[in-house]
Amino acid sequence: VSLVSCWCPGAGQDVGRSCILVSIAGKNVMLDCGMHMGYNDDRRFPDFSYITQNGRLTDFLDCVIISHFHLDHCGALPYFSEMVGYDGPIYMTHPTKAICPILLEDYRKITVDKKGETNFFTSQMIKDCMKKVVAVHLHQTVQVDEELEIKAYYAGHVLGAAMFQIKVGCESVVYTGDYNMTPDRHLGAAWIDKCRPDLLISESTYATTIRDSKRCRERDFLKKVHETVERGGKVLIPVFALGRAQELCILLETFWERMNLKAPIYFSTGLTEKANHYYKLFITWTNQKIRKTFVQRNMFEFKHIKAFDRAFADNPGPMVVFATPGMLHAGQSLQIFRKWAGNEKNMVIMPGYCVQGTVGHKILSGQRKLEMEGRQILEVKMQVEYMSFSAHADAKGIMQLIRQAEPRNVLLVHGEAKKMEFLKQKIEQEFHVSCYMPANGETTTILTNPCIPVDISLGLLKRETAIGPLPDAKKPKLMHGTLLMKDNSFRLVSPEQALKELGLAEHQLRFTCRVHIQDPRKEHETVLRVYNHLKGVLKDYSVQHLPDGSITVESILIQATAHSEDQGTKVLLVSWTYQDEELGSYLTSLLKKGLPQSTP
Amino acid sequence: YRDLHTFELQAPTRLIEWARGSRVCVAGYGQSDGNEILQLIPPPTLQTKETQGLCPERDFKVECGGFSKRPVYSLKYVPDTSLLVTSGPPDSSLQVWQVSAEDSDVIKSVSTIATENGTGQPWAKIDTISARAPWVLHGSRLDSVQITEVESRKNVYTAVSRGSEELSGLAFLDCNTLLLCCATGQLCLADLRQPQSPVEAVSVPPAPCGEQWCMGTTHGAQGSEPSSQPVARLSSRGLLTLTDLRKTSESLASAKARVPSPGSGAEFLCVSWAPALEGCLAISGFDGTVHVYDTQSWDSSGREAEPIFVHKGHAFGGADGSGDPPLVTVHTWHLQKPRTLLSAASDGSLHVWDWVQPCGKC
Repeated sequence: VSLVSCWCPGAGQDVGRSCILVSIAGKNVMLDCGMHMGYNDDRRFPDFSYITQNGRLTDFLDCVIISHFHLDHCGALPYFSEMVGYDGPIYMTHPTKAICPILLEDYRKITVDKKGETNFFTSQMIKDCMKKVVAVHLHQTVQVDEELEIKAYYAGHVLGAAMFQIKVGCESVVYTGDYNMTPDRHLGAAWIDKCRPDLLISESTYATTIRDSKRCRERDFLKKVHETVERGGKVLIPVFALGRAQELCILLETFWERMNLKAPIYFSTGLTEKANHYYKLFITWTNQKIRKTFVQRNMFEFKHIKAFDRAFADNPGPMVVFATPGMLHAGQSLQIFRKWAGNEKNMVIMPGYCVQGTVGHKILSGQRKLEMEGRQILEVKMQVEYMSFSAHADAKGIMQLIRQAEPRNVLLVHGEAKKMEFLKQKIEQEFHVSCYMPANGETTTILTNPCIPVDISLGLLKRETAIGPLPDAKKPKLMHGTLLMKDNSFRLVSPEQALKELGLAEHQLRFTCRVHIQDPRKEHETVLRVYNHLKGVLKDYSVQHLPDGSITVESILIQATAHSEDQGTKVLLVSWTYQDEELGSYLTSLLKKGLPQSTP
Repeated sequence: YRDLHTFELQAPTRLIEWARGSRVCVAGYGQSDGNEILQLIPPPTLQTKETQGLCPERDFKVECGGFSKRPVYSLKYVPDTSLLVTSGPPDSSLQVWQVSAEDSDVIKSVSTIATENGTGQPWAKIDTISARAPWVLHGSRLDSVQITEVESRKNVYTAVSRGSEELSGLAFLDCNTLLLCCATGQLCLADLRQPQSPVEAVSVPPAPCGEQWCMGTTHGAQGSEPSSQPVARLSSRGLLTLTDLRKTSESLASAKARVPSPGSGAEFLCVSWAPALEGCLAISGFDGTVHVYDTQSWDSSGREAEPIFVHKGHAFGGADGSGDPPLVTVHTWHLQKPRTLLSAASDGSLHVWDWVQPCGKC
């Protein structure tokens, strides 16, 4: 019996940050290190003092694994490794390693430069943190140390997102991070093999959601863009280079072609370069379709979409512009926003979540008067729309993943307890596994039954399978043998073999029973009577009358003596070894019945 | 369309029921164990009267759910209580459930209302009312119609009937009047104030020829005359007749819907009146479409009528294209938004749609 205990200093009924500590067969692994997007103070970081009061984290943790580059999964990493202190290995996929530092730096800039916070990690800390990162490939088994190994699986969701299997001996845990079971235009669906982990840790934020179909969202997006452009307005779509920009471009291009629209669509060059660069690097992480088109041409070569120039923003007439960064916190997208915000014919469509403190976040919360640099007030009259295409697993997806992996236990993180009772029952009923839903900071202990592999000697196997009913694939067969545990190996051998190997002698057990017989004649006559009786009854056995006056039945010995006090009674001593127990008992009960009267 | 949202349920449903607080309930009808009853919170766009378009929250959320061992063919909330009642094969008994969304998200099975000689009977049609006490009206045949008090499971009324035809629907017209519709199309009325007199057959469908019928009634306002709204009947051949219960000797109007023939059977026939559009009704159950008709232009000739809108979304559903095309199992009108309907099909799809009236009428 072993423990796999899960403790969630971040996620676990708390939407906002993920950070899970798993203890498996003595190894301690931290899964994700996210920050809470809603808080401005220390509450945004997980409380690491829970892990170990004294003693260094580097000694306590065997490794840290980061599932993907979203800030609620990696945002606290530099704080954790550089400010709290951790020097051990940090594992993540290659795309995550490439993209994490960019997002962390962006986030740092917003928090420190824009909001003037002081207790925050520095750019150098981000760099030092990334030096501790070991990048892994999909389906590559990575030995963290002699006993602990990890393997990454494709998770969909965003570029580079992975689900991780953590294995120590024959015990394993699979952590999903954020994943998605339906493929979209630029990413495939999550996939895992039937690895049968002892525990599957899955996010369940969207477990209670039944999502509107993608086609409807896209239809509404196109409708909005079309309406704005028709009335002569301008549409700004701030994007992160690797988010949905590619998908939205394809969508607009097809729509423009079909509707024969003339308004120009632009994307900023910074966007093209970055996107092309990353897609080239990580082409295997995108889905089939993208790979095919990429091989043929430049990702961003469209008929209707052209490169943007700063000056175009002042052009009259309708247009659509994709610009970075995605949260309107700096750079080109913010510049364009400032130019277009005052006109109610224009529209800005935010395609994703915005961190607190950014202009994007403010306008999505409904703010329409923004304070810019130099105390200038910007009045926002343009339409603000929000559209989320982010891909998470819903209840159906979670069930699919459990069906694929076949875990023995399931643990749900990332949702509210009340709302997960139904899903918990659903999982327990359908898969007959236990389902846990820990609260933030709660420790869950899961008992596992480790499988211990044992070698069986061929001779024993042959012998045992020959006994009893024929082997049946559906029924377990009971076999008897002796378990030898020697030099870290387990072997099942026959008892004789075991005795030989261990240099032990087999003990001999002998039983002796006294049977009283009424017979006044001499002993040797009684013996003769017994001999003839047994010879007649036990025709299949070897019954012998030995010269010394004893009788043997197989290896059982029978001797007769007179009773010490009563001459009329003879005492038969029946003696047998443990191996002949059955025959010995039978013989005894036979003799106890008495001898037949007629005797020679 | 003005608006169209398509969703996919994990298992298809053949019922869509509205509950307090704009909640919607669906349930599985599969033969195996583990059918789910789901109470859903619709996205904010559907809860308000105005359409919002691009909105962060566009999804249905499962508020609570329960597990049913038998397929759920019919479900009705019991007004003014936290209970709901379901029915389904293999017999005509009812299951009572408790919904307590604040405490937990599990819909718990509370009790069973058994029926005498209920085994082997077709599943019970149900309706609920809480005028004098929480009551459920149920029955699978004309001679097994009864009213049971939900909490105590006591019988309060048993209808007297000469016939034993199978029922396709029943309803409380008000707290004293019951309307029963047989699968043969016959409509019967019963008055609770006269429990000894048998149910009165009031209308036989025109030219019955072995087809199956179902009915649709409006949810009249509490105080209004129960029979002021016409009752619509739909047959498996697409015939529609409207009957005024005050004058049942002849039908008010009738028409023929353009539906594929032979029909796919009467399993999912559904006809319903629009709560906020005068004279409009919708039908479904023949294929993957939902038809909306304006009955104000109908007469009694029974000729073919032109629908004012046809929702075809479900027919384009199945991505695999394998097996049979999806069949719309049920539809219902939004209670406040006049031109919004919800429809579900046998492939698990759930659509919410709002159409644009091409020419000014409705």
